[in-house]
Amino acid sequence: MLKDNLKKALASLNLEKVAEGDYDKTGYHLEAAAQPAQMPAVAQAMLEADCFLESCTAVDLVESFDLVYHFASFGELCRTAVHVVLGKKKGMPTISHIYPGADWYEREVFDLFGIHFFNHPNLKRLLLPEDADFHPLLKDFGASQGND
Amino acid sequence: MIELLGLEEKTYTLNLGPQHPSTHGVLRVLLEMDGEFITKAEPVIGYGHRGHEHMAENRNYQQFLPNMGRVDYLHALAYNQAYCMAVEKLLGITAPERAEFIRVITAELNRLTSHLLWFGAYLMDLGAFTPFLYCFDDRENILDLLDRITGSRLTYCYYRFGGVPTDIDDEFVAGCRAFVKRLRSRWKDYDDLVTKNVIFIHRTRDVGLISREQCIKYGVTGPNLRGSGIRYDIRKSEPYSAYPRFDFEIPIGTRGDIYDRYMVRLAEMEQSLRIIEQACDQLPDGPIMAEKVPKRIKPPAGEVYQAVETARGEFGIYIVSQGDVKPYRIKLRTPSFANMSLFPDIVVDTLVADLVAILGSIDVVIPEIDR
Repeated sequence: MLKDNLKKALASLNLEKVAEGDYDKTGYHLEAAAQPAQMPAVAQAMLEADCFLESCTAVDLVESFDLVYHFASFGELCRTAVHVVLGKKKGMPTISHIYPGADWYEREVFDLFGIHFFNHPNLKRLLLPEDADFHPLLKDFGASQGND
Repeated sequence: MIELLGLEEKTYTLNLGPQHPSTHGVLRVLLEMDGEFITKAEPVIGYGHRGHEHMAENRNYQQFLPNMGRVDYLHALAYNQAYCMAVEKLLGITAPERAEFIRVITAELNRLTSHLLWFGAYLMDLGAFTPFLYCFDDRENILDLLDRITGSRLTYCYYRFGGVPTDIDDEFVAGCRAFVKRLRSRWKDYDDLVTKNVIFIHRTRDVGLISREQCIKYGVTGPNLRGSGIRYDIRKSEPYSAYPRFDFEIPIGTRGDIYDRYMVRLAEMEQSLRIIEQACDQLPDGPIMAEKVPKRIKPPAGEVYQAVETARGEFGIYIVSQGDVKPYRIKLRTPSFANMSLFPDIVVDTLVADLVAILGSIDVVIPEIDR
């Protein structure tokens, strides 16, 4: 039920892709791909469907970033993964005004990848020291860098 | 500091931690106080950041296994399990039945050690010393049991891709049964000491309320969520391993205060005992490792998200593979991270004396937040 409702809600947002996921292989019931600017609308649709934000993270694909948002629901088993391809040196709109829990996730992504989130209320380093000048999960950050 | 936080002069700043006995590790909280009341709280985390996600990209799949016992050191086996299941999904292999049963028994024993430690440490936070001695006495029995088959007492690294490395014997099963009996006989002591204690009830009833809306907005999971009356436990709602084979309940609270969270954890321990009992009764014979586990773990390109229920809530592991011997990216979604991000919201307008009571009731493990 929830899956169909989400499919309908996401389809009305004109996303690049809304498809059923292969649950046995990936753990997703729904997979979607969105443009950066569409993400707040996606988050709003998810919140209206009573879903919670499981996690938000990024993957450095060298040419670009792949931001991954996982949503799930307390009521019915349905995990949705939303992928957003973001160019390097591009910013991303925040969803922390919709999901306050995204506040820390976005700060972590900023901290570890250097991705800027527009309109974030408190975008500063979360895990690393305030004076750190590197983003360790970027692929061009070597393992030995940072300390020596 | 006053300029730093942009505060008005009638309030003052109070610094809690990072070295403080009731923050259970290295957590710092910057508090803005108006008299005895908290008007704003800002947790400062990262003191225990070891960079597990970065380490994952620099070692192969097997080499990352020991890391999983060190993210949440109190429920290490759940993390082992999530990682092994995720890699098994990527490889397309399944662990044999007996291995899944062993995983369930050991993971539930580990859950009990975590809840027992929380019980003792939390009451110590509230000023009660005696319960600590009781529950550590009980906990020691589990550590002896797990020590025999896993070889360690705390940072377990016991599961492997495709099963478990060492089999359990009759002595272990008998030990489990004896422990179940022993802990059941202790519930009355626990209840007499704590649950019906009037001081405890007054300190915890209607304090630190968490609402359903807050749970959804912050992604709160685990006993904190169930204390607020939402029946969500991954062992039931997204069944994995051998859990669908067992009959157990998900205890929930009604008000969402500290007392409810306490009751949920206590009731959960009894459910873990039920699971262990059933698993010991139904334990099948057979191999403990899958047959076709490749020596060189090199999963095909793809991604997988695997969630498990730890003592603190949902742990999710997200692995991106590009067909290499090393993971391309691993994200660890830890329960305390989400639970802690809610913390500033629930302590606002409470007394500073309640802060420690609320912080302890969320049951955070700091290294798990920091990773």
